Amino acid sequence: MTYYELINQIIRKKVFETKTIVLFGQNIDAGSCLSGLTRNLKVQENSLIINTPNSENSLCGIGFGLMLSNVASVFFMKQQDFLLLGIDHLVNTFNFIRLKKPSASFTIMNIVVDSGYEGPQSCLNNLADFCSISRTPGFTITNKIDAEQIINSQLVSPGFRIISVSQRLANKDVIETEKIFSRSDDTLFKYTEGNDATIVCFNFTFPQGQELYKKLKNKNINSSLFSVNTPLPIDWNEIIQDVKKTGNIVIIDDSKSSNLSCDNLLVEVMRECKLSNEIVVKRKLDDSLLVPNPDTLIIDYEGIIGKLTASMKQKLCR
Amino acid sequence: MGNIMDIKMAENILRIRFSQIIINERYKNNEFKIPIHLALGHEAIAASIDAIMDENDVLVLHHRNIHYNLARAKTLKAQLDEYYLKKEGLAKGQLGSMNLANEAENIVYTSSILGNNLAVASGLALGKKVRGSKGVVVVTTGDGAIEEGSFYENLLFLKSNELPALILIENNEWSLATHIKERRCTINIDKFAQSVDAKYEKLSGNDSFKYVERLIELKELALLNKTPVCVEVELTTLGSWYMKKKGYPNGKFINYHAGPAPTINLSEGPVIKESNEDPVYVLKTYFEEEKFTEISDKVLMLLEEKIR
Repeated sequence: MTYYELINQIIRKKVFETKTIVLFGQNIDAGSCLSGLTRNLKVQENSLIINTPNSENSLCGIGFGLMLSNVASVFFMKQQDFLLLGIDHLVNTFNFIRLKKPSASFTIMNIVVDSGYEGPQSCLNNLADFCSISRTPGFTITNKIDAEQIINSQLVSPGFRIISVSQRLANKDVIETEKIFSRSDDTLFKYTEGNDATIVCFNFTFPQGQELYKKLKNKNINSSLFSVNTPLPIDWNEIIQDVKKTGNIVIIDDSKSSNLSCDNLLVEVMRECKLSNEIVVKRKLDDSLLVPNPDTLIIDYEGIIGKLTASMKQKLCR
Repeated sequence: MGNIMDIKMAENILRIRFSQIIINERYKNNEFKIPIHLALGHEAIAASIDAIMDENDVLVLHHRNIHYNLARAKTLKAQLDEYYLKKEGLAKGQLGSMNLANEAENIVYTSSILGNNLAVASGLALGKKVRGSKGVVVVTTGDGAIEEGSFYENLLFLKSNELPALILIENNEWSLATHIKERRCTINIDKFAQSVDAKYEKLSGNDSFKYVERLIELKELALLNKTPVCVEVELTTLGSWYMKKKGYPNGKFINYHAGPAPTINLSEGPVIKESNEDPVYVLKTYFEEEKFTEISDKVLMLLEEKIR
């Protein structure tokens, strides 16, 4: 099953279980249905599925209006760039609404076009900026575990949030794995436990983090694997405790934001832990991103393995 | 004029007028920390909307909302307390002026951002459709906000989804210090509405009694035809003045936008301008002088008693 097929399956079940809901967005029930993300959505009586006009600014405000009417809604958006048009509502309207503490749900689920070759526009991958400007809860989905947990607990729960999914992962087999624990607020997931290194994945980098975990395992380096599924800084305690044990941290973040919570984690880790290695893999934000390109976060797996292996040897010598 | 409904309408218009003049007196004394946009001259449409609203209707306001809030709440005290940011205020001191809403009076959302409230109104109208609830959404905006793309987007959305709504466009011809003629070409709202097969009506003359009759019909039309109706309301924001300035022998015209209106004084009574530009002047023409003075004095006395 592909990543989108799984997400679509979970969404379909969740929205059909919801008594009154409005699902809206451009082409959500037409054509490819956002590459399959919104295919075959069904809702109960007194609910609606609307293929809307191309009015993203207003569509954001309409979701908040529905919230004030105590009607749950999900606005599906073909690419994150479109959300730029709705920033007034994400900030100003939400500031009013949150004072009311509404019991209805409004979720914007957008696709991050991280598949490459889009050029200077249409390739926004900046959930952190949207969430930061409005202090909005935001979530990224990267595998079967977090998809099930985040969609089931967040998609139609009271309040407002943004959930982002990756286009790069759309037709890839969804990663099925097991978790050790996850926070009840769906912000942090831990998948493996190891004594040698701590890998922390941000945004959509869980596949790369898992790949690194496997490569390290082949070299007898056991690592703890975390995924931070929210773009704003959180309480880093579980990660800090893990790094205190391993002394090595590898942070991977493929967001194009300059406003990265992984930097916040790094500061905390450097303050709290005695480190042998702090390896940060993130994007170089320069004009090379503006021309059509594969949009791939380059990870020097061998280099990371080399550094960690050297560190392990030093540890053994001590 | 003498039936109880007419008297109530007169009292409401005068209450809105005197309340604003009282607020203005305190504003002139620098008593408020928050920015307030007075709406002197806008009383007729506010009182008319209050008169046609029933328990199922909801009102969505913009930054110049003082008149609608006063028309609906019919109290100055709570609004004053809100402006002083007191806990006893209409919104517990949390919303101030430009976002002042009052759920108890069906004012469910107010935005200080031009054009922002139109989308929320569309959402509320869609919510009514989904929930099968009665009533119409009334959303206020202005000649400045219809320059925003959201005006078009929401007219389109409301029409496309068969959602009844009254979109009130308060046209005072000014956007802050810029007159329409200084900032844009003419917008023919009638043709604009026609382009999406929405209805259009223009109200002018500041006559609440006539406004109410027409607004009742327009509300029915919106509900029956499941359509948005654009209602352009021609009005003048009173409180302008002439500033002494070199090169302007008669003074430079300053349009009232926000803040205290320096030339408006409580001691001069409720009428600000002896013309149809002033809804209170228009109201006065319906009554014998003595009766008008009696109603006016009573309204002012009650207001002052409550805020003493």
